[in-house]
Amino acid sequence: MNSAKLVMRSISKRFGGIAALEQAGLEVRAGEAHALMGANGAGKSTMMNVLGGVVRPDHGQILIDGEVVSFASPTQAKQKGVSFVHQELNMLPSMTVAENVMIDAMPTRGGLVDRKAMRLRTAELLRRLDCTFSPDTLVETLSMGDRQMVEVARALVTDPGIVIFDEPTSSLSEREKRRLFDVVLGLKRDGVAVIYITHFLEEIFEVCDRVTVMRNGTTIETRDMHAITAGEVVTAMLGSVEAEERVRPAFISIEPPLLAASCLSRDGAIADVGFEVRPGEVVGLWGLLGSGRTEILRAIVGLDPLDAGELRWRSGDTLDIIRPDKLHRKVGFVTEDRRGEGLLLPLSVAKNISFGNLDKVKGAFGMIDAAKEKTFASGFVERLRIKLSSLSQPVRTLSGGNQQKVVFARWLGTRPKLFMLDEPTRGLDVSAKTEILRLTAELATEGAGVIFVSSELEEMMRVCDRYLVVHRGRIVANLYGDATKDDLMHAVSDGRVAA
Amino acid sequence: MNHLKPLVGLPLVLVAILTFFSVMTSHFATAGNINAMLHAMAPLVIMSCGMALVVFSGKLDISIGSIAFLSATLAVLLINDHAVPPILAFLASLVAGIVLGALNGFIVVVLGVNALIATLGTMIALRGIALSLTGAVLIPLPTQVARLGNLTIGPLFADIVVLVLVVIAAHIVHRHTVFGRRLNAIGNGEDAARRIGLPVDRTVFASFVLSGFLAALGGIVALLQVGAISAYLGRGMEFTAVAVVVVGGISLFGGRGAILPGILLGAFIFEAIANGLNQMSANPYAYQLITGLIIFLAMYVDAMQHRRKAAVRTRR
Repeated sequence: MNSAKLVMRSISKRFGGIAALEQAGLEVRAGEAHALMGANGAGKSTMMNVLGGVVRPDHGQILIDGEVVSFASPTQAKQKGVSFVHQELNMLPSMTVAENVMIDAMPTRGGLVDRKAMRLRTAELLRRLDCTFSPDTLVETLSMGDRQMVEVARALVTDPGIVIFDEPTSSLSEREKRRLFDVVLGLKRDGVAVIYITHFLEEIFEVCDRVTVMRNGTTIETRDMHAITAGEVVTAMLGSVEAEERVRPAFISIEPPLLAASCLSRDGAIADVGFEVRPGEVVGLWGLLGSGRTEILRAIVGLDPLDAGELRWRSGDTLDIIRPDKLHRKVGFVTEDRRGEGLLLPLSVAKNISFGNLDKVKGAFGMIDAAKEKTFASGFVERLRIKLSSLSQPVRTLSGGNQQKVVFARWLGTRPKLFMLDEPTRGLDVSAKTEILRLTAELATEGAGVIFVSSELEEMMRVCDRYLVVHRGRIVANLYGDATKDDLMHAVSDGRVAA
Repeated sequence: MNHLKPLVGLPLVLVAILTFFSVMTSHFATAGNINAMLHAMAPLVIMSCGMALVVFSGKLDISIGSIAFLSATLAVLLINDHAVPPILAFLASLVAGIVLGALNGFIVVVLGVNALIATLGTMIALRGIALSLTGAVLIPLPTQVARLGNLTIGPLFADIVVLVLVVIAAHIVHRHTVFGRRLNAIGNGEDAARRIGLPVDRTVFASFVLSGFLAALGGIVALLQVGAISAYLGRGMEFTAVAVVVVGGISLFGGRGAILPGILLGAFIFEAIANGLNQMSANPYAYQLITGLIIFLAMYVDAMQHRRKAAVRTRR
């Protein structure tokens, strides 16, 4: 248990002039799960890419089982027993599980693929992972969680001594997550050194033995999990404590509702959903992954058909019935999928901001007036504190947080009365998250209604004025902004009992 | 047999077509006519196999008609003008197919040009070269060579035997070799295949080489059937091959379908329609209309299936 399976010593790597890694070090023992934590850009991926043979370090040493190794390619790393479970699932949907697992190590006999050997080996790996599906199943028929298992199985084909998990749970449900944790525990029992990267703090306390924290390209410290608190990990990651305080005090709007939904139902997804949103308030849809919170948003704006129910929208003094697709055009919609939101990555910041507001930048003969466009855009850039070198910089080159701000900027130009934010901070680093939350509160302060969805309760608790607790497609409770974490967790578990 | 799923409707369509023509004409359903149909579709089937291998990886090779034309031209010129023995001339022609396929592979893999555009370029350029070599006139083969086109083995034309061998070989390459699995994997998602660590470039390159080789082989078979090189050899064949591939249930999005029986059924449908309409003395343009409709239907089914799968994939 105490032998160091892997030692990475004073690893440095520069890209262009920028140091991605500076004297970083990591030591992982056989049979332990070792968490690697750090904010975005801390150097976790570069560190793992060095270990995986994707990136060659400028300086430093890697030892596996006490032997100095150096990898020119991922294949070489694999031969030395380093396997990678990537965050993105690299699935081949039209092919069988066995083919997916063995694709880069197909057994052959007489030049032809030895299907029997392929299926046997796969079946063996699936048993090890406690999977019940057959090696002949087509991957496209599997659930996300099962696909993740296929990805893990592929990493285990070579019987690696070191397995890297890069954000393995980001697309998994709670139950699927449990299964993955069991797999990690199983690997530990088999004496494998597991390196575990995640954004979710609570996960590392569940499965990991030690944690190494990275910041600004170097490793800050390594500690035993039972000798460190979540707060200490965060402190090490960020350098200074950022108290998870509310970005604005909880607020109760007394204005008449802007949007009223009643009895919304869609078979198998949501049932009898009714709620109101008032100007100036941030309403959080709080539920576990798969509870139906995203489905509610989708149904409201007509992305999924409704079987029953009606939506009413304020016009003057009355609430008039409105069709979901019509409502869609009235709300500002921001999701985690920035590209899907219509951010045109190769185009400039200015063009992206002006897109929803082309009327306002028109010049003579209805042509776009470049000067007007820049003035228009620069107003938002200043207001949202978007960090850029020039307005003509392609959006692609901005950081995730600044890209998300460009999405907000475009919406601000059209001044919608209602915003729907679905995981707007997903994939952003901690400070960018805070800025997006502040912006959310600002929108509400200016009088817009906001519906906010996030999988991170802490994040919701920093911004929401009211919570609609969603469970199995129903709204099971309505709590106000002063609700505590326990209240909210309780509400979700009550829902479980009730359903 | 999962790979047969996209083919559910195809045998029914074929049965309907065969029944229709058997009833409408007296000569259609005879052994002689079926033999003739298989004979006539040999070049198309051989070239479609090459096309299919490329399509499995999600790419297209629309230069195969021109490769067939240019490599067949080469054989004719070697035999007629340089007195090269026919066997050697045909071997040279196959080598030419390999080289031209490698050229496509180079443009796609090394220069990174989109496969459709790359092979559109070579399709036009290679035909131009061949036309200038032949002067765009009909050049007949010496009669003793042209006679090979009617060679029979038992009751079957020799090129039917070639057709069967090629189809079986292509099927084995696709379904039973590591190379074939890699093609499928690339067709499932080139980025994913790269991240897994598969040799994507090498595999795609090889598929174009194989496609070039089979195009040249198809060109030789077509040349021997006609007994002369004409400016029309292989023209439009690339698109008919795409149609055969799609109608045969092989997805243009890559990674789905199988050569057997897809390619054979697909090619047979087109040949049966042409042959049957011909025997009914139908308006010759009717063939094009019907072919167009069938291609459209097959593409539509492919697109629908792709969209449904994409929808399933994005749902959480």
